[in-house]
Amino acid sequence: MVYYLFVCRSLTYAQRVAATLERAGISAYLTRTPRAIAGEGCGHGVKVPPRRLPEALRALDRAGMPPQRLFALEQNGSYREVTA
Amino acid sequence: MIYLDSAATTLQKPARVAAAAARAIHVCASPGRGSHRAAMAAAETAFACRQAAARLLGVGDPERVVFTCNATHALNLAIASLVSPGDPVVISGWEHNAVTRPLAALGAEVRVASGPLFDGGGALAAFAQLLTPEVKCAICTHCSNVFGMILPVEALARLCRQRGIPLIVDASQSAGCLPVDLDGWGAAFVAMPGHKGLYGPQGTGLLLCGADAPVRPLLYGGTGSASLRQEMPDFLPDRLEAGTHNIPGLAGLREGLEFVARRGPEAILAHERELVAIAREGLTQLPGVEVFGDSLGLGQGGVLSFRLHSVDCEEAAAWLGERRVAVRAGLHCAPLAHETAGTLDTGTVRISFSAFNTPGEVERFLELTERLARGR
Repeated sequence: MVYYLFVCRSLTYAQRVAATLERAGISAYLTRTPRAIAGEGCGHGVKVPPRRLPEALRALDRAGMPPQRLFALEQNGSYREVTA
Repeated sequence: MIYLDSAATTLQKPARVAAAAARAIHVCASPGRGSHRAAMAAAETAFACRQAAARLLGVGDPERVVFTCNATHALNLAIASLVSPGDPVVISGWEHNAVTRPLAALGAEVRVASGPLFDGGGALAAFAQLLTPEVKCAICTHCSNVFGMILPVEALARLCRQRGIPLIVDASQSAGCLPVDLDGWGAAFVAMPGHKGLYGPQGTGLLLCGADAPVRPLLYGGTGSASLRQEMPDFLPDRLEAGTHNIPGLAGLREGLEFVARRGPEAILAHERELVAIAREGLTQLPGVEVFGDSLGLGQGGVLSFRLHSVDCEEAAAWLGERRVAVRAGLHCAPLAHETAGTLDTGTVRISFSAFNTPGEVERFLELTERLARGR
């Protein structure tokens, strides 16, 4: 696995997610959602390293910001939706 | 120039405001429309501004801070979200045309909660009488743009919550110098310009949206989100922010917000009240000058109106302007406020202050106004 991607409804929500994770000491990278998984068209997401996922989920839970959709990017370049 | 027209726009800004806006022109593209560095720089700029506004203005999450062109735009959005044709709406007697014209255009049934000047308790009592179950919303300015009268919005918000009536607060003259607390008040919307007491550039404004407030767009278009749908997104801020943002303006506004936060709204209000007290005291001594001031001072912000019995208000403002003192005269786009105060026939001369005015400027203004009052 290369990284996990939190898919967010809006740029601003994605920025809140990224800011929350950064405050928890987790490197988080804002990105446009790949077209293949952006259900309603353009969207934004936040990438986190695989080993930090449990911490990231706890940080978001503490902040009252449950992930909207979560995907894993596999080594072969495909995305797989994951239940948080 | 001695600039005493900050109720229209603060002309003197913190130096960082212009610097940030100029920088944004060169480094920021469209937020949310790409993943390249310039788009991300724009996204970071907008988000930083949202966060600064949310922190200063009592908004629990920055998604409920919506960027607008000015306070009028923000008020139009708020009113369109809550009011339909024929709806009964209660407003204070001190509202600006930015409130009354949208209501007239919608065909709302407007009921005015009137009361004497500088009688906040009277205004509250009038609202209490008019806020009956069929009323769709209440609208109240936090501080009159003509007279500087502070309205008791916190108590009004409590009353509206008790009666289940959504409240829109026009914070055009209060944001930056009086406490604004969207979530604490439980208001549906709070609207404000970015270019007055928040010291941002013109072309910026904010609409703070309550957590449960219904929101209806006035503009439709691209948001960089949910692009396959032909309806506007159903989430904030995207639902109310179609099209490319004024990123240079927001970069400047962020610096203005930080300036206010560093200096403290209370300190800015205290400074403006000190200047108002000097002006009120000085004007009261002049012959043929009628001053509209709160004698105790606590019911008034950094705005003061007066009129000269022997000189038309517009002529007085022009005369002062020729001597490099900038004031505003006339009806101040608020005929309802003048009607309530009994000054509709004459209008008033208005002076209004910012954090950058000095007592010396007020003294110079008083010297000139004395000449005017005594026949020049």
